[in-house]
Amino acid sequence: MRMDTVIMGGGLSALACGISLAKRGKRVTIVASGQSTMLFNGGSMELLGCIDGKPVEKPLEAIATLPQNHPYSKIGADRIAAISERVKLLFSDSGIEMTGSANANHWRITPMGVAKPAWLTLNDHLRIDDLNNLPAKHLALMCVRGFFDVPNAMLAQGLRELGFEVDMIEFTTDDITSLRRSPSEMRATSLAKRLVSNHALQRVADQLNSLAGEADMVLMPSVFGQNDSSDFQTLQNMTRKPLRLVATLPPSVAGMRMMTQLRHYFRMLGGTYLMGDTAVSGTFEGDKLTSVTTAKLGDMPLKADNFVLATGSFVSRGLRADYERIYEPVLGVDVVADNDRERWTSFGVLQPQAYFGYGVATDEQLRCLKNGKPIQNLRAIGSVLSGHDPVKMGDGTGVSLITAIAAADHIRENK
Amino acid sequence: MATNDIYNKEYDVIIVGGGATGAGTARDCALRGLSVLLVERNDYSTGATGRNHGLMHSGARYAVTDGESASECISENMILRRIARHCVEETDGLFITLPEDDLQYQQTFVEACQRAGIRADVIDPEEARRIEPAVNPQLIGAVRVPDAAIDPFRLTVGNLLDARLHGAETLNYHEVESLIINQNRVEGVKLLNKLNGERIEVRSRVVVNAAGIWGQRIAQTAGVNISMFPARGALLIFGHRVNNMVINRCRKPANADILVPDDTVCVIGTTSDRIPIETVDDMRVTREEVDVLLKEGVKIAPSLATTRIIRAYAGVRPLVASDDDPSGRSISRGIVCLDHAKRDGLEGFITITGGKMMTYRLMGEIATNAVCAKLGNTAPCITANQPLPGSEEDGPNQGDLTKRYSFGQRAAIGRHGSLAARIEKDNDIDNALVCECEGVTVGEIKYAVHQLHVHNLVNLRRRTRVGMGTCQGKLCSCRAASLMGEFNHDVKRAQEDLAAFLDERWKGMRPVAWGDTLREAQLTASIYEGLCGLDTAVNLQGKEDVQ
Amino acid sequence: MAERMQLCNISENNFEQCTKCSICTTVCPVAAVTTDYPGPKQAGPDGERYRLKDPAYFDKALKMCLNCKRCEVACPSGVHIADIIQHARMDATLGKQRASLRDTLLANTDLLGTVANLVAPVANATLGLKPTKAVMHSVMAIDKHRTFPAYSRQKFTTWFKRHAAKEQDAFAHHVSYFHGCYVNYNFPKLGQDLVKLMNAVGYGVHLLDKEQCCGVALIANGLYKQAMRQGRTNIDSIRKSVTRDNRVVLTTSSSCTFNMRDEYPAMLGIDNADVRDSINLATRFIYKLVDEEKIKLIFKQDYKRRIAYHTACHIQRLGWQLYSIEMLRMIPGLDLVELEQNCCGISGTYGFKKENYELSQAIGATLFKDIADAKVEAVSTDCETCKWQIEMSTGLPVENPISILADALDVEATRQANNIK
Repeated sequence: MRMDTVIMGGGLSALACGISLAKRGKRVTIVASGQSTMLFNGGSMELLGCIDGKPVEKPLEAIATLPQNHPYSKIGADRIAAISERVKLLFSDSGIEMTGSANANHWRITPMGVAKPAWLTLNDHLRIDDLNNLPAKHLALMCVRGFFDVPNAMLAQGLRELGFEVDMIEFTTDDITSLRRSPSEMRATSLAKRLVSNHALQRVADQLNSLAGEADMVLMPSVFGQNDSSDFQTLQNMTRKPLRLVATLPPSVAGMRMMTQLRHYFRMLGGTYLMGDTAVSGTFEGDKLTSVTTAKLGDMPLKADNFVLATGSFVSRGLRADYERIYEPVLGVDVVADNDRERWTSFGVLQPQAYFGYGVATDEQLRCLKNGKPIQNLRAIGSVLSGHDPVKMGDGTGVSLITAIAAADHIRENK
Repeated sequence: MATNDIYNKEYDVIIVGGGATGAGTARDCALRGLSVLLVERNDYSTGATGRNHGLMHSGARYAVTDGESASECISENMILRRIARHCVEETDGLFITLPEDDLQYQQTFVEACQRAGIRADVIDPEEARRIEPAVNPQLIGAVRVPDAAIDPFRLTVGNLLDARLHGAETLNYHEVESLIINQNRVEGVKLLNKLNGERIEVRSRVVVNAAGIWGQRIAQTAGVNISMFPARGALLIFGHRVNNMVINRCRKPANADILVPDDTVCVIGTTSDRIPIETVDDMRVTREEVDVLLKEGVKIAPSLATTRIIRAYAGVRPLVASDDDPSGRSISRGIVCLDHAKRDGLEGFITITGGKMMTYRLMGEIATNAVCAKLGNTAPCITANQPLPGSEEDGPNQGDLTKRYSFGQRAAIGRHGSLAARIEKDNDIDNALVCECEGVTVGEIKYAVHQLHVHNLVNLRRRTRVGMGTCQGKLCSCRAASLMGEFNHDVKRAQEDLAAFLDERWKGMRPVAWGDTLREAQLTASIYEGLCGLDTAVNLQGKEDVQ
Repeated sequence: MAERMQLCNISENNFEQCTKCSICTTVCPVAAVTTDYPGPKQAGPDGERYRLKDPAYFDKALKMCLNCKRCEVACPSGVHIADIIQHARMDATLGKQRASLRDTLLANTDLLGTVANLVAPVANATLGLKPTKAVMHSVMAIDKHRTFPAYSRQKFTTWFKRHAAKEQDAFAHHVSYFHGCYVNYNFPKLGQDLVKLMNAVGYGVHLLDKEQCCGVALIANGLYKQAMRQGRTNIDSIRKSVTRDNRVVLTTSSSCTFNMRDEYPAMLGIDNADVRDSINLATRFIYKLVDEEKIKLIFKQDYKRRIAYHTACHIQRLGWQLYSIEMLRMIPGLDLVELEQNCCGISGTYGFKKENYELSQAIGATLFKDIADAKVEAVSTDCETCKWQIEMSTGLPVENPISILADALDVEATRQANNIK
């Protein structure tokens, strides 16, 4: 089976790269081993949130100060500025409505009420552009009875520390109460499946309208709209006060929604998305990768002119750690990692952990190295890359998106 | 119990140490009608009690080297099956001989078992492979003995609950800073309340030092010297049960020669290293210990080589040098009960130490006998006959996992025995699962928080298994912290507690952080730091490890 | 031993690789519509740790699992969640409980088919009649809304022996065909379409020495022993075809294919390692021939249709929908709409049972809406039970990709292009 480009991995970076190529008429196949870490996303993209424990205000400016081994340093601040605009376009083309700027971070609100710097946030989620000028004074924090995947009191406390006046108001509806009959399955995503019909949304809106009191904004956990934002829009139209969502613990409805929309757009552009298959090995000829074998397609490997490695970090199994070493399991390309297991991690759980920075090594054009030499038609993007730390630097989704589009550009320029 | 009440009261006996021995002593004293206060510097069962295999020895392990310990073990083993059945899983055990071992030792072993009164049946290797498929198939000999698994947390709590039912008072997070001594007589303890920093003095007619390895320091504050020989042992927990019987090596006790199925996991151990007494609070497992445990562990059950390890931990055995040999060359694992009046001329002070978790009840009996002798109490010991709360005949029990119950309710019966009846389950929210791996419901958490002396999430874990599954607290720790914040009306504390809990989980994961355990850790970090920003909200630096 | 330590994590069905991320719970079609089912995470890896401790922790609600495998497809950790659940059901069932009369009847598609076939008009009439339905609903608990698929007057095998068998030896290349119960008893046309298509590109089609129902329904209904017997018979026949006759085995049903390739070894302990790669879905086999330029397909100039493709659960688990979609895309006049991957809710015999009817329709609702929105004249899918469900629920005709290919094929032009006399 011959393609223009085969992308290994099916998460945010894979789709961004795939869409970018498919838009220009390329035949692209994405091999996704299951759903991605986007299902742990809180409804925001982060370009660069933190350096040395301090929040970054102007990410594009701060990128210039990053060390050489950071993926951004290989792309350069100017190109990142241009790519960041194209990312916004890519989202809006996919039907994902987000707001933000790469010039200046805004703040997203986490399920624990912490304000974290963000680049783009879904329009239906709570976003604060200026901590000295809050979007509302008085919030009605609506707590879904029996739903434990938002620590409501922590959230309320965090919001109060930011200067909001917060009323915590517990509520339920028949749909919610009946879901709680399940001891285990009252998750954000299951609520989103229940709260779909106009009747179900009206029952929620009735509660919001009667309970929100003096508040000038209503906050809800992000449990609406797993396919698009229309359920939220319907609810907003039924609700008298402005309504915003706050991220929950995973699985994330916002993440699921964004992935569905991106996948849908990719398919519309003619792309092929193989869900539940995994790239297992590749065949090299000289300094080129010629085909990739997958677990399911078996004796019919995927051949292509270009390949992209977007398999993610350890959690997505794009990187493997065993008793002895850290390696890239599909193609065996070079990784940047410590040999000594003792140095992979540090003692305190909240301390920086070295393993987050591990990943595959690339040249300036994001080409993977094998035995120190670049593979001409194989590029790595997203979390599989070394030199960044999504948790401590707040650069995970940013690296995914920026490197995805930069790699797509390299692939086109190479022709 | 308000602190003022305790402050103003004089007790018959104060017991220092909330491990199995302290709890067993408190129970025995209370059952004999004494007024009792038990104090523990951390949480109950944080010392050696909570840091061993969870093996209910048949005594076979000691049969060859220490006949007395072996006899004590088998006799206590039979008692615990009756009085603590909700803490015990009757698995039986194998002592296997591998090609590298001397098969002749088996003969010696079986004879020694018989002398100690331990049933020991030699079985065919083929039969051993059939009844325990996880066993190293290369074995050349096997002996079946009545080993079993026991949950030390439940056992300790069961004893404390019964002690309280009979009038005892118990305080965790109260550290003994010194003893109150008046003219060669111990008259009480000076306590530091670690939760609020308060210092109080409490008086009693007798003080029992049941502080395990930390007992040396307690005695020192009274000018009494006890030579403890801290022997550190490390263990590994695997993600699920590979074996359903205890498997031991049939040879002289050595490193990593016991594999125990404990609840939903299995545990290999231990190493044994003499360590300086100053380091007994550093329980971090080293890389070398992990290597030894794995290298030896796979000889018992080869599948351990490819089974996920979820954490590593270590404990310190409170071994005691006998008084006539202060050099420490002859170290006994037997029970040591010191009446310091006779030994050191200090009245009102008894130390109970040595022994094993397995013989905690007997240690309690011996210590209580000594206390009663001083106080002129002649009531007989009944702890061997009276079941612990949770192990009574009536009410739901382990043999009753019928379909009427939900998963969470059944898991709770497995943990709390007949006490599970006290867990609220009449509405959907009480039945909702907080910890999905271990089946811990909102109702069970309420029960633990309100009735089992829970101050933080680590305590809650010991009472309920919340966060003890393979994910080590992925979603449940946040849910549980949130509930605790609600009960205690203190959100900030709940948030700090959550971070401290994750830190405590990480301490055990870090030595084995590769493969799926590293993936798990990365996901947890992505959720709590990346998604939630817990690292921004809480600063753990400079904080003491939570116990 | 030491040098191989902790390099990988091997646990039955990979259940230990679960990081408790809960992603599987977002795709379970059953948990989406009922709170009585604990969802794939609880039923699978979570429950398994407790069942290893004590089998008494088995939960009856596990019987609600459709075995659609969507959880496995979504799992980023490679955990065989549905297999864990099926194994738990199997352990709880084997030797302990006999399946009810109804489960036996539904599971034995073969048995039911053989009897009905002899008296097809009567059977069709009887199975469609109201009193019979009522009896089935109350006595046997088959839902009254269900129409049993009509039985064909002539079995596929009868047709084949009378009308096609003789000509097959003349071709240069040969394949065997595992037609399955549906083609044999209900819809011989699909088999005829396959013969037409293969013959046009120079392949003779042959039956296996002995074919029995693949057993997918037997497994779903807990009739494991019978499934094992039939599975062994099938693998023996397939082995003869592959080794003795040098013929790979084609199928036109994604469920039969999935069952014989993956469930035989995983669920029934039947060793098929030597022939597994020779069991192939026809669309995949044909795609490969086209891809390797061994054959050419010429389609009719005037063929014009708008069709939606539904990815059946089991073909998604196989990962082979790609081939059916790519084959359909080769037809110039075909306007293909690829539907989002949602379960239709029937899951073999599951949706036929009275207690499952409402659930089954609720599960399929999203798919039916997508189909309505797609404004197509027909739906294509590789699964026969999806066909029944979608036809009943949407009123649109549902066709196997092979039938669509055969209809669109310009047979004469194709024969010429492939130099077939």
